[in-house]
Amino acid sequence: MQTRIEAADQRFGWMLSAPGLMLLGAVIGFPIAWALFTSLFDYTLIMPSYDNFVGLDNYVTALGDKEFGHAAWVTLTFVAAIVVVEFSIGFLVALMLNSTERGRGIYYIILLCPLLMNPVVVGLIWRMLLHPTLGIVNYLLGLVGLGPVNWLGDPTNAFITVVLVDVWHQVSFMIVLLLAGLSALPREPYEAARVEGASTLQSFWHITLPLMRPVIVVTLLIRVIFAIKTYDIIYIMTRGGPGDATDLISYFIYRRAFVGLNLGEACALAGLLLAVIVAMTAYLHRVMRKV
Amino acid sequence: MASIELRSVSKAYDGGVHAVRDIDLSIADGEFMIFLGPSGCGKSTTLRMIAGLETATAGDILIGGERVNDLDPAKRDISIVFQNYALFPHMSVRKNLSFGLRLKGTPRAEIERRIGHVSKMMGIDELLDRRPSQLSGGQRQRVALGRALVREPQAFLLDEPLSNLDAKLRAVMRTELIKLHQRLGTTMVHVTHDQVEAMTMGERICIMKDGEVVQVGAPLEVYTNPADTFVAGFLATPSMNLMPARLEADGDGLAIHLAAGTIAVPEPFRAAYAPYAGQAIIAGMRPEDFHEKPAEAGPFGQLVETTIETVEALGPETILTLSQPGGTAFAARVSAAGTSRAGDKIRLTYDAGKLHLFDPRTTKRIARPLSV
Repeated sequence: MQTRIEAADQRFGWMLSAPGLMLLGAVIGFPIAWALFTSLFDYTLIMPSYDNFVGLDNYVTALGDKEFGHAAWVTLTFVAAIVVVEFSIGFLVALMLNSTERGRGIYYIILLCPLLMNPVVVGLIWRMLLHPTLGIVNYLLGLVGLGPVNWLGDPTNAFITVVLVDVWHQVSFMIVLLLAGLSALPREPYEAARVEGASTLQSFWHITLPLMRPVIVVTLLIRVIFAIKTYDIIYIMTRGGPGDATDLISYFIYRRAFVGLNLGEACALAGLLLAVIVAMTAYLHRVMRKV
Repeated sequence: MASIELRSVSKAYDGGVHAVRDIDLSIADGEFMIFLGPSGCGKSTTLRMIAGLETATAGDILIGGERVNDLDPAKRDISIVFQNYALFPHMSVRKNLSFGLRLKGTPRAEIERRIGHVSKMMGIDELLDRRPSQLSGGQRQRVALGRALVREPQAFLLDEPLSNLDAKLRAVMRTELIKLHQRLGTTMVHVTHDQVEAMTMGERICIMKDGEVVQVGAPLEVYTNPADTFVAGFLATPSMNLMPARLEADGDGLAIHLAAGTIAVPEPFRAAYAPYAGQAIIAGMRPEDFHEKPAEAGPFGQLVETTIETVEALGPETILTLSQPGGTAFAARVSAAGTSRAGDKIRLTYDAGKLHLFDPRTTKRIARPLSV
C-alpha cells in the first residue's frame, strides 16, 4: 500500500511531467492517432472526408503495391549499406582514438562537426560539391585526369552517393557511442590476457569484441532505427531518383501523400513503418535494460 | 621456479614523478615475499614492473638470472593475480582457466588434465561451467588463483588479491595461500597494505614508503627490530608507541625522561645509547610490553603509573589508551580478565628490555644489542 509521502511524491512527479506530456501529446500523440484513424478511410486531398470507411483496405493495398515493395527493398539496402560502412569505419576510428592519449578532445570536436549540422544543410552542401559541371569534386577529379562523374544523375551512382553522404554525416555518431563503450572497458582483463600471451589481435577478438557486444548491439539498433526513417537527405539531393533508385520508404510515403494526394493510403504506409520502428525500439529497450 | 632480482630499479613518470626509486632486492627461488606499505608507496608498481606490465625507467629486473626488462609479460613465465581478479566476464570458469593454454596451442588433453588438477586443488571443479558473474567473491578469487596456477609458471605475483574479500573469507584465503605455497614451493610475491597479511603469510617482508624500500626481513625480525619510526608505527595494531623524550645521564646509568615518568635504560643498552645522552630522542614502546603483573615484565621491568583514557575490550585482550600528562596518550595491551574502566588509575610494569630509541633527526632506530 502506498504511504502518504509516496503518494505526494507521485503527485509531484506527475505535476512536473504534465507540461512535457501535454506537449508530446499535442505534437506526437495527436498526429499518430489522427494518421491511424485516417488510414481506415478512403481519404484523399482531392476529396478530404471521412465518409468512406474502408477498414484495413489501405493496408492490404499498400502491402500488395509493387512500388512499395521496391521502396522497402531500397530502404533495406540503404540501411544495410550505411550501417555496415558506418559501423566498420566507426569501430576502427573509435579503437584508434581509444589508444590515443593526446589531443583526444580536438579529434572529438572535429568528428562531431558533421553531426551538428542539419541534414538539409548537409544535403545542400554535397549537392553543390557534387554538381556534375559546377561542383568542386568533379573539378578536382579533372585535375588528376578522372571524371567527370554523374554523381546524382546515374541510378547506381546516386544510391552510392547518398549512402556516402549519409556516412559522412552520421559516422561520428557511431564513433562517439563506440568510443564511450571502449573507454568504459576495464583495463585488467587486457593485462591478464597480455600476461597469458594474447597478441593485440587476439585481445581484440577474445576480449574487446565480446565485452563490447552489448554496446555494439545498442549502437547498431539505434542507427538502424534512425536510418529507416531517412528522409531529408533524399528530399534535398535526389527526390527519390533518378527514377526510383533512391526512393526510400519515408520519401515514398511523402510522395503518396502530397504528390499522389492519397492521404488514407499514405497514413496506412506510415502506420506500417511505425509498427516496424516501434518493434525495433521495444527490442532496443529490452537490450538496453540488460546492459 | 625462479629467483627474482631487482637491481637499482626505478620508475619515473612524465613530469619527473618517481613511483619507485632505486630499489635493490633479491627474492630467493621458492620464497614467499611480501611487499608491504601504505597506498601510493610503489609496491604495486614494483610488482607490475616484475610482471612486465610497467616499464622500469632505470635498473635491471632478473627472473631466474635472466634480464627480462625488454621481455614481453607472456615470455617472463610468471602469473599474476589482480586485486579485482580480472576474470574474463564473458567466459566460463573453464574457458578462463584454459585461456592462456589455448593461446599457446597446448593440446586439448593436456589442457583438460591441468584444469582437472587445478580445479580440484582450488575446490572449483563444480563451478567450471559457470560465468564469473555467477560466483561469489571467494569463488572468483579461487578461479583467479586457478588461472594463475594452471600455467605452471616460475613465479606468482599477487597484487592485493585478498583486499576485496570480507574479513572472514580473507582469513580463510590467507591460510589457503600459505598452504598453496607450501605445496607448490613456487616463488610468490604478494602485495598488500594489510600488516596482518604480511606478518602471517610472508617468509620475508619488504616494507616500502614513498617508492623506496625501508626494510626487508623476516616478519618477526622486522617487528622486533624496526629500522625506523615508519616501520615501527606501521606494523601491528595498535602500533608501537612513539613518544618524544630526553635521554639523560643518571648516576652511572642513563634514564629516559618521558612526560609520563622516567625509565631507566637497562645496563646492556647503555653503551649503545650513551652517545645520545643529553639529547632529545624518540622512545619506542610496544603496547604488549606493558604488563599488569610485575613478574611478567622480566628483569628490566619498570613501574608506570597513569590514568586510563579509554578501554577497548577485544575479547581475548583489552587495549587501554593511557594518558601522559603534558604528552601524547599511549596504548597498552593487557589481558581481558581485568576490570579497568576509563578514568581509573592503573599501575603497569614496562619491560624496558624491549625498549627502542630512535634518532628524531633521521627517524632511524639507534642500534643496540638485539636481545637482553
